[in-house]
Amino acid sequence: MTRTEILNELKKVFAPYTTNKEMLAGINDQTDLIKDLKINSANLVDIIIDAEAKYDIEIDYDSADKIINVGTCIDVIMEKLNQNK
Amino acid sequence: MISAGNDIISLNAINITRTKQEKFYSKILSPTEKELYNQAEFTTIPFENFVWLLWSIKESAYKYLKRNNSGLIFIPIKFTVKQLFIPHGYALTNFEATQLEGTGFDNIPAFEGIITTGDDALYSRSLMYTELIVSVVNSDENFENTHWGLKLIGKVDPEYQSTAVREFLIERLQGFLRLDGLVISKSSGGIPVVLKGNSKLRVAVSLSHHEQLIAYSFR
Repeated sequence: MTRTEILNELKKVFAPYTTNKEMLAGINDQTDLIKDLKINSANLVDIIIDAEAKYDIEIDYDSADKIINVGTCIDVIMEKLNQNK
Repeated sequence: MISAGNDIISLNAINITRTKQEKFYSKILSPTEKELYNQAEFTTIPFENFVWLLWSIKESAYKYLKRNNSGLIFIPIKFTVKQLFIPHGYALTNFEATQLEGTGFDNIPAFEGIITTGDDALYSRSLMYTELIVSVVNSDENFENTHWGLKLIGKVDPEYQSTAVREFLIERLQGFLRLDGLVISKSSGGIPVVLKGNSKLRVAVSLSHHEQLIAYSFR
């Protein structure tokens, strides 16, 4: 799975938690989940659990630590997918 | 260290089913924190409220510490609520007002907690109604210099929430400081600061919003 494929799927993961649909359509590695997409911090656990279910991975606390923007989110998912191989 | 940290949760917006699932709450609560819920007094509040009470205390502590540690990341499980006391004779009631403001928590039934992360220890006070939870933290057990407020607003649009919470805080600050023309800005690290003209005032503020609720604290 490529970074672009994950990025496109992440748009669906983020969609229920952001009202900024225009920003969501154009997300890139630098897009900040809270500052740019205006995702409330109370939904960050939802996003981690939705991503875990979507990719059949487990995102531990140290990995969750790294999730700040879309790019680091993709990094963590790719790292966990590679560990599952 | 003068800082401020608060958080507000709209209990009407939480996913109760998901909150009760272990895979969800285990990302917020440690096993020892879950044990806190088994204290007899806590059985008077729903478990999902308990989970979000601890979340709000942890997020408040994160905001308090981030002012002086810009690299801090919020991972709830890395913040530990060591002690939590429910107000004597507490019963969950509806929030009957449209806004509530105060200084300290001596005259209002508040949950009292102690929260730690690394070498830092902070004190918390929280209010819980059927519709909401609001928390404020402090490095001092004495909250008499800590001012707070919460308010119901009409819209959930993030831009509106952001504007409304700033206006709510400025109105209280201007009365408290006897100054006008105050502006809430953000530092390069994303920390809210109070400006009078080009001067940054020595008052630490914290802002929070969730759905139709906004809240501030300052000292």
